[in-house]
Amino acid sequence: MKEYKILFSGTPGAGKTTAIAAISETPVVSTDVVNTDEGLKKATTTVGLDYGSITLDGGDRVRLFGTPGQGRFDFMWPILARDALGLVILIDNSRPDPLADLEIYLEGFAAELEQMPCVVGVGRHETHPEPGIDAFGDRLHARGLVLPVLPADVRQRADVLMLIDVLLSQVEAGMVEDTP
Amino acid sequence: MNVAPAVQQAAWSAIQALQGLSGIVAVVVASADGFDIASAVTRNVDAARVAAMASSISAIGTVVAQEGGLSRCRQITVGTADGFVHVSTVSRHDGEFVLNVIADTGAVLAQVVYSAAEQVRALEAA
Repeated sequence: MKEYKILFSGTPGAGKTTAIAAISETPVVSTDVVNTDEGLKKATTTVGLDYGSITLDGGDRVRLFGTPGQGRFDFMWPILARDALGLVILIDNSRPDPLADLEIYLEGFAAELEQMPCVVGVGRHETHPEPGIDAFGDRLHARGLVLPVLPADVRQRADVLMLIDVLLSQVEAGMVEDTP
Repeated sequence: MNVAPAVQQAAWSAIQALQGLSGIVAVVVASADGFDIASAVTRNVDAARVAAMASSISAIGTVVAQEGGLSRCRQITVGTADGFVHVSTVSRHDGEFVLNVIADTGAVLAQVVYSAAEQVRALEAA
């Protein structure tokens, strides 16, 4: 049995805590507190980390960590990214500038993204189709990155599992490429 | 964020009291979600950043205490060779706050812990 660590990050309200809760087999460890930031339309916000875990079909275990989304907690990002096998960046497409939001996390995880597989999940895409998925791909390409971008409703277990499957596929592909 | 005037006043009183102790580098009172609501620093310390970090430490202390079947996290101390950080949680009817004290080797830990506890009680009663 293998153990993996996967990290969820992304904009406040994009659903990092929800995504982990949607698939975790264990009660989610959550450090949500009452939100006092009137600019954020949510009752609570994560200030430390989220944690859950899931067992994959083959018996491998995935430990799921979530970061706080707000930039003032960016000191937690490299701490939580340490030894992670992959990164899921969640973007809320209903926010004013989702592409600029993506840039924040690409910048914040720039060092990790040199080695670490990553997938981008775009939430609320069905109600806010702009920017389109291609626009995210173009923005990644402009930074020299080629990463999968998927629409995802993180309240749906199947969507979150899809993100993880895509991420693990990248990991496996990387392992094959690394094999001499 | 909107903070009740009584809390703001009590926060400044706490800062003044703790600054009177020797070895104090910074005192920051923050909201539970990491906003600096009152602070005083004597070195190149970013109070806004300390506020966010104190919020994270407090929140992680809370879940660790819960996991251990213990009651509410009241304080956490980070010890180093050059001093310590003492984080206390403040629980009020109108919200949660965090009192964060950074001190160098000139400070006496027991004195800071005692004084911080006094200020927490004052903040909770304000």
